[in-house]
Amino acid sequence: MTAKPRVQPTAPKRPISITAVVDCVGALASDSMQGNLYFYDTNKAGGSAGFGTEALRTKVSRGDQLLWGVLALECEAFVAIEGIEIDRDICEPVRKVYPGTDVAYWIGTVKKDTAQPIPYLIRFQVGTRVEPITTTTPPMLVG
Amino acid sequence: MPQQLAIIVLVDVGNALTAESLKDNVYLFDNMKLHGSEGEGTGDLVTAINGAYWRDGSQASEQVLNWLPYSLGSIPPTVPRGYQADRARQSDQEALDELDALTSKPPAAGNDTASQLAKIRKTAGTRVKTTRRTSGRMSGQKILDVTGNVVGEGETHAYSYPGPVITDIYGQAVDEKIIYPAEYGSPDLVTDGWYWSATVDTSRPGTYAYTMRIQLHKLVQRSGEILWEPVNLTCESRLRVTAEPRFNAFTGGGMGLLPIPPVAYSYPAAPTATDETGES
Amino acid sequence: MKPQVNILALVDVIGALSDRTLGNGNLSLVDNGDFHSLGQGTPELCTIVSPGQVVQWQVLAVDLQTPVEIKSITFLGPEGANGGALNGGSHNGAPDGGDGEKLDLGVWIGIVPPYLPPGVGHRYRLELQMYEGDNSVMHIDSPTLMCL
Repeated sequence: MTAKPRVQPTAPKRPISITAVVDCVGALASDSMQGNLYFYDTNKAGGSAGFGTEALRTKVSRGDQLLWGVLALECEAFVAIEGIEIDRDICEPVRKVYPGTDVAYWIGTVKKDTAQPIPYLIRFQVGTRVEPITTTTPPMLVG
Repeated sequence: MPQQLAIIVLVDVGNALTAESLKDNVYLFDNMKLHGSEGEGTGDLVTAINGAYWRDGSQASEQVLNWLPYSLGSIPPTVPRGYQADRARQSDQEALDELDALTSKPPAAGNDTASQLAKIRKTAGTRVKTTRRTSGRMSGQKILDVTGNVVGEGETHAYSYPGPVITDIYGQAVDEKIIYPAEYGSPDLVTDGWYWSATVDTSRPGTYAYTMRIQLHKLVQRSGEILWEPVNLTCESRLRVTAEPRFNAFTGGGMGLLPIPPVAYSYPAAPTATDETGES
Repeated sequence: MKPQVNILALVDVIGALSDRTLGNGNLSLVDNGDFHSLGQGTPELCTIVSPGQVVQWQVLAVDLQTPVEIKSITFLGPEGANGGALNGGSHNGAPDGGDGEKLDLGVWIGIVPPYLPPGVGHRYRLELQMYEGDNSVMHIDSPTLMCL
Protein backbone atom coordinates (compact mmCIF):
# COMPACT_ATOMS: atom_id res chain seq x y z
CA MET A 1 0.00 0.00 0.00
CA THR A 2 1.45 3.29 -1.04
CA ALA A 3 1.30 6.41 1.01
CA LYS A 4 -1.61 8.65 0.11
CA PRO A 5 -0.62 11.83 -1.64
CA ARG A 6 -1.43 14.84 0.49
CA VAL A 7 -4.37 16.57 -1.05
CA GLN A 8 -3.79 19.79 0.76
CA PRO A 9 -0.50 21.41 1.51
CA THR A 10 -1.54 22.33 5.04
CA ALA A 11 -3.92 20.89 7.60
CA PRO A 12 -7.56 21.77 6.90
CA LYS A 13 -8.58 25.10 8.34
CA ARG A 14 -10.98 25.58 11.19
CA PRO A 15 -14.42 26.54 9.79
CA ILE A 16 -15.20 30.25 9.80
CA SER A 17 -18.05 30.73 12.25
CA ILE A 18 -20.50 33.52 11.51
CA THR A 19 -22.56 34.41 14.56
CA ALA A 20 -25.70 36.55 14.63
CA VAL A 21 -26.61 38.10 17.96
CA VAL A 22 -30.32 38.98 17.90
CA ASP A 23 -32.25 41.32 20.16
CA CYS A 24 -35.44 39.25 19.91
CA VAL A 25 -37.67 41.62 21.84
CA GLY A 26 -36.49 44.58 19.75
CA ALA A 27 -37.00 42.65 16.51
CA LEU A 28 -40.52 41.54 17.48
CA ALA A 29 -41.54 44.98 18.75
CA SER A 30 -40.43 46.73 15.57
CA ASP A 31 -41.01 43.94 13.01
CA SER A 32 -37.49 44.42 11.77
CA MET A 33 -33.96 43.28 12.26
CA GLN A 34 -32.69 46.81 11.77
CA GLY A 35 -30.85 47.89 14.88
CA ASN A 36 -31.58 44.54 16.49
CA LEU A 37 -28.94 42.38 14.85
CA TYR A 38 -25.18 42.21 15.36
CA PHE A 39 -22.97 39.98 13.21
CA TYR A 40 -19.52 38.63 14.02
CA ASP A 41 -17.24 36.03 12.53
CA THR A 42 -14.03 34.29 13.54
CA ASN A 43 -11.99 35.51 10.58
CA LYS A 44 -11.03 38.96 11.80
CA ALA A 45 -7.37 38.06 11.45
CA GLY A 46 -8.07 37.05 7.85
CA GLY A 47 -9.58 40.43 6.98
CA SER A 48 -13.31 40.28 7.81
CA ALA A 49 -14.90 43.65 8.62
CA GLY A 50 -18.14 45.22 9.81
CA PHE A 51 -18.15 43.48 13.18
CA GLY A 52 -21.11 44.33 15.37
CA THR A 53 -23.21 45.56 12.44
CA GLU A 54 -25.78 43.99 10.15
CA ALA A 55 -23.42 44.43 7.20
CA LEU A 56 -20.71 41.98 8.18
CA ARG A 57 -18.16 41.35 5.43
CA THR A 58 -16.70 37.89 5.89
CA LYS A 59 -13.42 37.34 4.10
CA VAL A 60 -13.51 33.94 2.41
CA SER A 61 -11.69 31.93 -0.21
CA ARG A 62 -12.49 28.77 -2.11
CA GLY A 63 -12.68 25.71 0.11
CA ASP A 64 -13.48 27.61 3.31
CA GLN A 65 -16.13 25.99 5.41
CA LEU A 66 -18.69 28.47 6.77
CA LEU A 67 -20.81 27.81 9.83
CA TRP A 68 -23.71 30.09 10.73
CA GLY A 69 -25.16 30.24 14.22
CA VAL A 70 -27.31 32.56 16.29
CA LEU A 71 -27.44 33.80 19.87
CA ALA A 72 -30.36 35.56 21.59
CA LEU A 73 -29.62 38.68 23.56
CA GLU A 74 -32.31 37.71 26.08
CA CYS A 75 -31.56 34.25 27.38
CA GLU A 76 -35.28 33.43 27.69
CA ALA A 77 -35.93 34.10 24.02
CA PHE A 78 -35.93 31.64 21.15
CA VAL A 79 -34.20 32.49 17.90
CA ALA A 80 -33.10 30.29 15.01
CA ILE A 81 -32.02 30.61 11.41
CA GLU A 82 -34.85 29.50 9.15
CA GLY A 83 -33.03 29.93 5.88
CA ILE A 84 -30.04 31.49 4.14
CA GLU A 85 -30.50 32.88 0.63
CA ILE A 86 -27.22 33.05 -1.20
CA ASP A 87 -25.95 32.52 -4.73
CA ARG A 88 -25.86 28.71 -5.03
CA ASP A 89 -22.85 28.94 -7.32
CA ILE A 90 -20.86 30.31 -4.40
CA CYS A 91 -22.16 28.37 -1.41
CA GLU A 92 -25.04 26.04 -0.56
CA PRO A 93 -25.60 26.20 3.18
CA VAL A 94 -27.55 23.33 4.73
CA ARG A 95 -29.18 23.05 8.12
CA LYS A 96 -27.76 20.53 10.55
CA VAL A 97 -28.19 19.92 14.25
CA TYR A 98 -25.64 19.32 16.97
CA PRO A 99 -25.73 15.53 17.41
CA GLY A 100 -28.29 14.46 19.97
CA THR A 101 -29.93 17.90 20.23
CA ASP A 102 -32.42 20.03 18.33
CA VAL A 103 -30.04 22.99 18.32
CA ALA A 104 -29.34 23.83 14.69
CA TYR A 105 -26.53 25.40 12.72
CA TRP A 106 -26.07 26.04 9.00
CA ILE A 107 -22.96 24.91 7.20
CA GLY A 108 -21.61 25.23 3.68
CA THR A 109 -18.38 25.34 1.71
CA VAL A 110 -17.25 28.24 -0.45
CA LYS A 111 -17.22 26.77 -3.97
CA LYS A 112 -15.17 29.36 -5.75
CA ASP A 113 -13.25 32.56 -5.30
CA THR A 114 -15.16 35.66 -6.17
CA ALA A 115 -14.05 39.11 -7.19
CA GLN A 116 -17.41 40.70 -6.36
CA PRO A 117 -18.79 40.77 -2.83
CA ILE A 118 -21.62 38.24 -2.47
CA PRO A 119 -24.55 39.64 -0.47
CA TYR A 120 -26.95 37.18 1.14
CA LEU A 121 -30.08 37.15 3.28
CA ILE A 122 -30.86 35.31 6.47
CA ARG A 123 -34.41 34.56 7.62
CA PHE A 124 -34.77 34.31 11.39
CA GLN A 125 -37.43 32.59 13.44
CA VAL A 126 -37.98 34.79 16.48
CA GLY A 127 -39.96 34.02 19.63
CA THR A 128 -43.15 32.13 18.82
CA ARG A 129 -43.92 34.32 15.82
CA VAL A 130 -44.92 32.33 12.72
CA GLU A 131 -43.51 34.48 9.89
CA PRO A 132 -39.74 34.85 9.87
CA ILE A 133 -37.97 38.21 10.08
CA THR A 134 -35.35 38.79 7.37
CA THR A 135 -32.16 40.81 7.45
CA THR A 136 -32.66 44.33 6.09
CA THR A 137 -29.05 45.08 5.27
CA PRO A 138 -27.39 42.06 3.68
CA PRO A 139 -24.21 40.65 5.14
CA MET A 140 -21.63 39.71 2.50
CA LEU A 141 -18.95 37.25 1.63
CA VAL A 142 -15.92 38.98 0.17
CA GLY A 143 -13.03 37.43 -1.68
CA MET B 1 -40.21 45.54 40.73
CA PRO B 2 -36.56 44.53 40.54
CA GLN B 3 -35.20 44.91 37.04
CA GLN B 4 -32.98 42.13 35.75
CA LEU B 5 -30.20 43.48 33.59
CA ALA B 6 -28.14 41.08 31.51
CA ILE B 7 -24.66 41.81 30.28
CA ILE B 8 -23.44 39.42 27.59
CA VAL B 9 -19.69 39.05 27.20
CA LEU B 10 -19.02 37.52 23.78
CA VAL B 11 -15.38 36.49 23.42
CA ASP B 12 -13.54 35.67 20.20
CA VAL B 13 -11.62 32.97 22.05
CA GLY B 14 -9.35 31.93 19.18
CA ASN B 15 -8.16 35.45 18.46
CA ALA B 16 -7.87 36.33 22.14
CA LEU B 17 -5.62 33.32 22.75
CA THR B 18 -3.49 34.22 19.75
CA ALA B 19 -3.23 37.84 20.81
CA GLU B 20 -3.03 36.94 24.51
CA SER B 21 -5.41 39.82 25.07
CA LEU B 22 -9.12 40.51 25.18
CA LYS B 23 -8.61 43.93 23.65
CA ASP B 24 -10.62 44.01 20.39
CA ASN B 25 -11.58 40.39 21.00
CA VAL B 26 -14.56 40.91 23.28
CA TYR B 27 -17.99 42.25 22.39
CA LEU B 28 -20.37 43.40 25.10
CA PHE B 29 -24.16 43.70 25.07
CA ASP B 30 -26.85 44.52 27.56
CA ASN B 31 -30.64 44.81 27.43
CA MET B 32 -30.64 48.48 28.37
CA LYS B 33 -30.21 50.11 24.97
CA LEU B 34 -33.56 51.87 25.30
CA HIS B 35 -32.57 53.20 28.68
CA GLY B 36 -29.42 54.81 27.37
CA SER B 37 -26.67 52.17 27.22
CA GLU B 38 -24.01 52.99 24.67
CA GLY B 39 -21.62 50.91 22.61
CA GLU B 40 -23.82 47.80 22.24
CA GLY B 41 -21.95 45.02 20.49
CA THR B 42 -18.54 46.66 20.90
CA GLY B 43 -15.73 46.26 23.38
CA ASP B 44 -16.62 49.61 24.92
CA LEU B 45 -20.05 49.23 26.47
CA VAL B 46 -21.43 51.75 28.94
CA THR B 47 -24.38 50.14 30.69
CA ALA B 48 -27.10 52.56 31.75
CA ILE B 49 -28.56 51.84 35.15
CA ASN B 50 -31.50 54.08 35.86
CA GLY B 51 -32.34 54.04 39.50
CA ALA B 52 -35.34 55.58 41.17
CA TYR B 53 -35.92 57.04 44.60
CA TRP B 54 -38.90 57.99 46.71
CA ARG B 55 -39.55 61.47 48.02
CA ASP B 56 -37.81 60.64 51.25
CA GLY B 57 -34.67 59.81 49.27
CA SER B 58 -34.79 56.06 49.78
CA GLN B 59 -34.04 53.76 46.87
CA ALA B 60 -37.25 52.82 45.05
CA SER B 61 -36.11 50.13 42.66
CA GLU B 62 -33.72 47.26 42.77
CA GLN B 63 -31.44 46.70 39.79
CA VAL B 64 -29.80 43.32 39.41
CA LEU B 65 -26.95 42.75 36.97
CA ASN B 66 -26.22 39.33 35.49
CA TRP B 67 -23.14 38.53 33.42
CA LEU B 68 -23.23 35.83 30.73
CA PRO B 69 -19.95 34.93 29.01
CA TYR B 70 -20.28 33.35 25.54
CA SER B 71 -17.73 32.09 23.05
CA LEU B 72 -17.78 33.28 19.44
CA GLY B 73 -17.73 30.35 17.05
CA SER B 74 -17.93 27.56 19.61
CA ILE B 75 -20.70 25.07 20.25
CA PRO B 76 -23.53 27.37 21.37
CA PRO B 77 -24.58 27.69 25.00
CA THR B 78 -28.06 26.44 24.10
CA VAL B 79 -27.03 22.79 23.79
CA PRO B 80 -27.96 20.81 26.90
CA ARG B 81 -25.83 21.09 29.97
CA GLY B 82 -23.19 18.34 30.09
CA TYR B 83 -23.17 18.14 26.30
CA GLN B 84 -19.40 17.55 26.12
CA ALA B 85 -19.64 14.65 28.59
CA ASP B 86 -22.63 13.16 26.73
CA ARG B 87 -20.82 13.26 23.42
CA ALA B 88 -17.75 11.68 25.02
CA ARG B 89 -19.81 8.76 26.37
CA GLN B 90 -21.61 8.35 23.06
CA SER B 91 -18.34 8.15 21.11
CA ASP B 92 -16.99 5.57 23.61
CA GLN B 93 -20.04 3.44 22.93
CA GLU B 94 -19.63 3.77 19.17
CA ALA B 95 -15.97 2.76 19.44
CA LEU B 96 -16.85 -0.27 21.56
CA ASP B 97 -19.47 -1.31 19.02
CA GLU B 98 -16.96 -1.04 16.21
CA LEU B 99 -14.40 -2.99 18.21
CA ASP B 100 -17.01 -5.68 18.83
CA ALA B 101 -17.75 -5.92 15.15
CA LEU B 102 -14.06 -6.14 14.33
CA THR B 103 -13.24 -8.93 16.83
CA SER B 104 -16.27 -10.99 15.83
CA LYS B 105 -15.10 -11.17 12.22
CA PRO B 106 -13.21 -14.31 11.19
CA PRO B 107 -9.46 -13.69 11.21
CA ALA B 108 -9.07 -15.14 7.71
CA ALA B 109 -11.21 -12.52 6.09
CA GLY B 110 -8.15 -10.56 5.10
CA ASN B 111 -9.20 -7.36 6.83
CA ASP B 112 -6.67 -4.68 7.34
CA THR B 113 -6.89 -4.76 11.13
CA ALA B 114 -4.46 -1.93 11.60
CA SER B 115 -6.44 0.51 9.49
CA GLN B 116 -9.69 -0.55 11.14
CA LEU B 117 -8.19 0.04 14.55
CA ALA B 118 -7.06 3.45 13.37
CA LYS B 119 -10.62 4.20 12.36
CA ILE B 120 -11.88 3.15 15.78
CA ARG B 121 -9.27 5.32 17.41
CA LYS B 122 -10.68 8.20 15.40
CA THR B 123 -14.21 7.42 16.58
CA ALA B 124 -13.03 7.24 20.17
CA GLY B 125 -11.54 10.68 19.85
CA THR B 126 -9.01 12.47 21.95
CA ARG B 127 -9.48 12.75 25.65
CA VAL B 128 -8.11 15.78 27.39
CA LYS B 129 -6.16 15.75 30.59
CA THR B 130 -6.43 18.82 32.71
CA THR B 131 -3.99 20.59 34.87
CA ARG B 132 -4.69 20.52 38.58
CA ARG B 133 -6.09 24.03 38.44
CA THR B 134 -8.73 23.15 35.87
CA SER B 135 -9.60 19.67 37.03
CA GLY B 136 -13.26 19.16 37.50
CA ARG B 137 -14.78 21.29 34.82
CA MET B 138 -13.27 19.62 31.76
CA SER B 139 -11.35 16.72 33.23
CA GLY B 140 -11.50 13.62 31.07
CA GLN B 141 -13.70 15.26 28.49
CA LYS B 142 -13.11 14.77 24.83
CA ILE B 143 -12.34 17.37 22.27
CA LEU B 144 -15.30 18.30 20.10
CA ASP B 145 -15.23 20.23 16.87
CA VAL B 146 -17.52 23.19 16.24
CA THR B 147 -20.23 20.88 14.89
CA GLY B 148 -20.29 18.79 18.08
CA ASN B 149 -18.40 15.79 16.69
CA VAL B 150 -15.56 14.15 18.54
CA VAL B 151 -12.14 15.08 17.24
CA GLY B 152 -9.68 12.24 16.69
CA GLU B 153 -5.97 12.19 17.27
CA GLY B 154 -3.98 14.31 14.88
CA GLU B 155 -6.93 16.41 13.78
CA THR B 156 -7.14 18.75 16.70
CA HIS B 157 -6.99 21.75 14.40
CA ALA B 158 -10.77 22.18 14.29
CA TYR B 159 -11.72 21.86 17.95
CA SER B 160 -14.34 24.01 19.61
CA TYR B 161 -12.99 26.18 22.39
CA PRO B 162 -14.59 25.75 25.80
CA GLY B 163 -16.69 28.74 26.80
CA PRO B 164 -15.05 31.60 28.65
CA VAL B 165 -15.45 31.66 32.41
CA ILE B 166 -15.67 34.81 34.50
CA THR B 167 -13.56 34.25 37.60
CA ASP B 168 -13.74 37.69 39.22
CA ILE B 169 -15.36 41.10 38.92
CA TYR B 170 -13.51 43.93 40.63
CA GLY B 171 -12.34 47.51 40.25
CA GLN B 172 -13.75 50.97 40.86
CA ALA B 173 -17.46 50.07 40.90
CA VAL B 174 -16.76 47.35 43.47
CA ASP B 175 -14.24 49.37 45.52
CA GLU B 176 -16.68 52.25 45.77
CA LYS B 177 -19.49 49.88 46.76
CA ILE B 178 -21.67 50.67 43.75
CA ILE B 179 -22.08 47.00 42.88
CA TYR B 180 -21.87 43.92 45.07
CA PRO B 181 -20.92 41.10 42.72
CA ALA B 182 -20.76 37.41 43.58
CA GLU B 183 -20.95 34.10 41.78
CA TYR B 184 -24.15 32.12 42.17
CA GLY B 185 -25.28 28.62 41.34
CA SER B 186 -28.11 28.46 38.86
CA PRO B 187 -30.42 25.91 37.26
CA ASP B 188 -30.20 28.00 34.08
CA LEU B 189 -29.09 25.81 31.20
CA VAL B 190 -27.20 28.47 29.30
CA THR B 191 -24.75 29.35 32.05
CA ASP B 192 -23.35 25.92 32.85
CA GLY B 193 -24.83 26.20 36.32
CA TRP B 194 -22.95 29.27 37.50
CA TYR B 195 -23.21 32.95 36.89
CA TRP B 196 -21.99 36.25 38.25
CA SER B 197 -24.59 38.62 39.54
CA ALA B 198 -24.60 41.93 41.41
CA THR B 199 -27.02 44.31 43.04
CA VAL B 200 -26.53 48.01 42.45
CA ASP B 201 -26.58 50.97 44.82
CA THR B 202 -28.20 53.63 42.63
CA SER B 203 -28.01 56.38 45.23
CA ARG B 204 -24.69 57.76 43.98
CA PRO B 205 -25.02 58.68 40.28
CA GLY B 206 -21.88 58.62 38.18
CA THR B 207 -19.89 56.50 35.76
CA TYR B 208 -17.98 53.65 37.31
CA ALA B 209 -15.55 51.23 35.68
CA TYR B 210 -15.20 47.58 36.56
CA THR B 211 -12.90 44.79 35.42
CA MET B 212 -13.79 41.21 34.60
CA ARG B 213 -11.18 38.48 34.93
CA ILE B 214 -11.96 35.93 32.26
CA GLN B 215 -10.45 32.48 31.98
CA LEU B 216 -10.01 30.96 28.53
CA HIS B 217 -8.60 27.53 27.73
CA LYS B 218 -5.88 26.72 25.30
CA LEU B 219 -5.27 23.22 23.97
CA VAL B 220 -1.62 22.33 24.43
CA GLN B 221 0.41 19.17 23.95
CA ARG B 222 2.92 18.52 26.67
CA SER B 223 5.01 15.35 27.02
CA GLY B 224 2.58 13.38 24.91
CA GLU B 225 -0.51 14.55 26.76
CA ILE B 226 -3.15 16.92 25.53
CA LEU B 227 -4.14 19.50 28.09
CA TRP B 228 -6.55 22.39 28.43
CA GLU B 229 -4.36 25.09 29.87
CA PRO B 230 -6.08 28.04 31.56
CA VAL B 231 -5.25 31.51 30.30
CA ASN B 232 -6.40 34.41 32.47
CA LEU B 233 -7.14 37.71 30.76
CA THR B 234 -9.03 40.83 31.78
CA CYS B 235 -11.35 43.32 30.16
CA GLU B 236 -13.03 46.46 31.39
CA SER B 237 -16.52 47.90 31.08
CA ARG B 238 -18.43 50.75 32.65
CA LEU B 239 -21.72 51.43 34.39
CA ARG B 240 -23.47 54.79 34.25
CA VAL B 241 -25.74 55.13 37.23
CA THR B 242 -28.49 57.72 37.32
CA ALA B 243 -31.40 58.16 39.69
CA GLU B 244 -34.62 60.08 39.37
CA PRO B 245 -37.59 60.60 41.66
CA ARG B 246 -40.70 58.51 41.34
CA PHE B 247 -44.06 60.21 40.91
CA ASN B 248 -47.71 59.36 40.81
CA ALA B 249 -48.52 58.42 37.22
CA PHE B 250 -52.21 59.36 37.55
CA THR B 251 -51.71 62.84 38.97
CA GLY B 252 -48.14 63.63 37.93
CA GLY B 253 -47.60 64.67 41.53
CA GLY B 254 -48.84 63.31 44.82
CA MET B 255 -51.55 60.87 45.79
CA GLY B 256 -55.10 61.54 44.57
CA LEU B 257 -58.44 59.95 43.78
CA LEU B 258 -58.51 57.50 40.88
CA PRO B 259 -59.82 59.32 37.78
CA ILE B 260 -63.04 57.35 37.45
CA PRO B 261 -65.95 59.09 35.68
CA PRO B 262 -68.75 59.77 38.19
CA VAL B 263 -71.33 58.60 35.66
CA ALA B 264 -71.81 54.92 36.21
CA TYR B 265 -70.86 52.72 33.33
CA SER B 266 -73.92 50.66 32.43
CA TYR B 267 -72.35 47.34 32.67
CA PRO B 268 -73.70 44.46 30.59
CA ALA B 269 -73.79 41.48 32.92
CA ALA B 270 -70.73 39.31 33.22
CA PRO B 271 -67.43 40.80 32.06
CA THR B 272 -66.41 37.79 30.03
CA ALA B 273 -68.65 37.92 26.97
CA THR B 274 -66.31 39.71 24.59
CA ASP B 275 -62.63 39.45 24.06
CA GLU B 276 -61.40 42.96 24.23
CA THR B 277 -57.80 42.10 23.95
CA GLY B 278 -55.90 43.39 21.04
CA GLU B 279 -53.31 45.72 19.80
CA SER B 280 -53.85 49.41 19.91
CA MET C 1 -59.75 45.46 55.38
CA LYS C 2 -56.39 46.11 53.78
CA PRO C 3 -55.64 49.80 53.27
CA GLN C 4 -54.15 48.96 49.86
CA VAL C 5 -55.08 46.53 47.10
CA ASN C 6 -52.35 45.57 44.63
CA ILE C 7 -53.19 44.57 41.07
CA LEU C 8 -50.40 42.74 39.29
CA ALA C 9 -50.26 42.28 35.51
CA LEU C 10 -48.08 39.33 34.52
CA VAL C 11 -47.05 39.52 30.88
CA ASP C 12 -45.37 37.01 28.59
CA VAL C 13 -43.66 39.75 26.59
CA ILE C 14 -42.11 37.55 23.91
CA GLY C 15 -45.43 35.70 23.57
CA ALA C 16 -47.42 38.94 23.29
CA LEU C 17 -45.03 40.46 20.76
CA SER C 18 -44.93 37.22 18.73
CA ASP C 19 -48.72 36.81 18.71
CA ARG C 20 -49.40 40.56 18.55
CA THR C 21 -52.00 40.24 21.25
CA LEU C 22 -52.27 40.29 25.00
CA GLY C 23 -54.80 37.45 24.57
CA ASN C 24 -53.79 33.81 24.09
CA GLY C 25 -52.81 33.71 27.73
CA ASN C 26 -50.10 36.31 27.29
CA LEU C 27 -51.52 38.52 30.05
CA SER C 28 -52.90 37.53 33.39
CA LEU C 29 -54.16 39.86 36.10
CA VAL C 30 -54.29 39.06 39.78
CA ASP C 31 -55.01 41.11 42.90
CA ASN C 32 -54.72 40.67 46.63
CA GLY C 33 -58.01 42.32 47.59
CA ASP C 34 -60.09 41.14 50.56
CA PHE C 35 -63.43 40.75 48.81
CA HIS C 36 -63.18 37.78 46.47
CA SER C 37 -62.39 39.55 43.23
CA LEU C 38 -63.64 37.80 40.10
CA GLY C 39 -61.62 36.49 37.16
CA GLN C 40 -58.31 36.14 38.98
CA GLY C 41 -55.56 35.14 36.57
CA THR C 42 -57.42 36.35 33.49
CA PRO C 43 -57.53 39.66 31.57
CA GLU C 44 -61.13 40.02 32.84
CA LEU C 45 -60.15 40.59 36.45
CA CYS C 46 -62.87 42.41 38.40
CA THR C 47 -61.27 43.82 41.51
CA ILE C 48 -63.67 44.40 44.37
CA VAL C 49 -62.71 47.45 46.39
CA SER C 50 -64.14 49.76 49.00
CA PRO C 51 -64.23 53.58 48.80
CA GLY C 52 -61.16 55.09 50.41
CA GLN C 53 -58.98 52.08 49.68
CA VAL C 54 -55.74 52.63 47.81
CA VAL C 55 -55.23 50.67 44.58
CA GLN C 56 -51.84 50.17 42.94
CA TRP C 57 -51.10 48.58 39.58
CA GLN C 58 -47.79 46.94 38.77
CA VAL C 59 -46.54 44.96 35.81
CA LEU C 60 -44.05 42.11 35.69
CA ALA C 61 -42.59 40.30 32.69
CA VAL C 62 -42.64 36.53 33.10
CA ASP C 63 -39.61 36.45 30.81
CA LEU C 64 -37.75 38.42 33.45
CA GLN C 65 -35.17 40.24 31.39
CA THR C 66 -37.60 41.72 28.91
CA PRO C 67 -38.87 45.26 29.43
CA VAL C 68 -42.53 46.03 30.06
CA GLU C 69 -44.10 49.12 31.60
CA ILE C 70 -47.61 50.46 32.11
CA LYS C 71 -48.11 53.19 29.52
CA SER C 72 -51.52 54.28 30.72
CA ILE C 73 -54.56 53.32 32.75
CA THR C 74 -57.74 54.99 31.57
CA PHE C 75 -61.17 54.51 33.11
CA LEU C 76 -63.76 54.20 30.38
CA GLY C 77 -66.96 56.17 30.43
CA PRO C 78 -70.50 54.91 29.86
CA GLU C 79 -70.76 52.25 27.21
CA GLY C 80 -70.08 53.45 23.68
CA ALA C 81 -68.60 56.67 24.93
CA ASN C 82 -64.92 56.14 25.33
CA GLY C 83 -64.59 59.86 24.85
CA GLY C 84 -66.27 60.24 28.18
CA ALA C 85 -63.25 58.75 29.81
CA LEU C 86 -61.48 60.98 32.21
CA ASN C 87 -58.01 61.72 31.09
CA GLY C 88 -56.55 59.33 33.53
CA GLY C 89 -52.97 58.49 33.40
CA SER C 90 -50.77 59.29 30.50
CA HIS C 91 -48.66 61.60 32.52
CA ASN C 92 -46.19 59.06 31.21
CA GLY C 93 -43.81 60.00 33.65
CA ALA C 94 -42.29 62.98 32.64
CA PRO C 95 -42.68 66.68 32.51
CA ASP C 96 -41.41 66.48 28.92
CA GLY C 97 -44.47 64.52 27.90
CA GLY C 98 -43.02 61.08 28.19
CA ASP C 99 -41.10 59.47 25.40
CA GLY C 100 -41.31 56.08 26.96
CA GLU C 101 -38.03 56.32 28.75
CA LYS C 102 -39.50 57.49 32.01
CA LEU C 103 -42.38 55.06 32.23
CA ASP C 104 -40.53 53.07 34.83
CA LEU C 105 -40.60 56.04 37.21
CA GLY C 106 -44.39 56.36 37.27
CA VAL C 107 -46.28 54.77 40.14
CA TRP C 108 -49.83 53.82 39.19
CA ILE C 109 -51.56 54.38 42.49
CA GLY C 110 -54.72 56.16 43.63
CA ILE C 111 -57.62 56.25 46.07
CA VAL C 112 -61.02 54.73 45.26
CA PRO C 113 -63.36 57.78 45.09
CA PRO C 114 -66.11 57.95 47.70
CA TYR C 115 -68.79 58.72 45.10
CA LEU C 116 -68.68 55.35 43.34
CA PRO C 117 -71.99 53.50 43.52
CA PRO C 118 -71.73 49.95 44.87
CA GLY C 119 -72.07 46.96 42.60
CA VAL C 120 -71.22 48.80 39.42
CA GLY C 121 -68.23 47.78 37.39
CA HIS C 122 -65.87 50.50 36.21
CA ARG C 123 -64.08 49.24 33.24
CA TYR C 124 -60.60 50.49 32.46
CA ARG C 125 -58.10 50.32 29.65
CA LEU C 126 -54.69 48.99 30.62
CA GLU C 127 -52.09 49.97 28.05
CA LEU C 128 -48.67 48.34 28.14
CA GLN C 129 -45.43 49.30 26.48
CA MET C 130 -43.10 46.42 25.62
CA TYR C 131 -39.77 47.70 24.37
CA GLU C 132 -40.09 50.16 21.47
CA GLY C 133 -41.41 50.01 17.91
CA ASP C 134 -44.56 49.75 15.82
CA ASN C 135 -45.87 46.70 17.66
CA SER C 136 -44.70 47.61 21.11
CA VAL C 137 -47.90 49.11 22.58
CA MET C 138 -50.96 46.94 23.30
CA HIS C 139 -53.98 47.32 25.52
CA ILE C 140 -56.92 45.52 27.00
CA ASP C 141 -60.29 47.05 27.93
CA SER C 142 -61.54 44.08 29.90
CA PRO C 143 -60.60 44.58 33.57
CA THR C 144 -62.85 46.40 36.01
CA LEU C 145 -62.95 47.92 39.47
CA MET C 146 -66.14 47.44 41.42
CA CYS C 147 -67.14 48.90 44.78
CA LEU C 148 -68.52 46.61 47.42
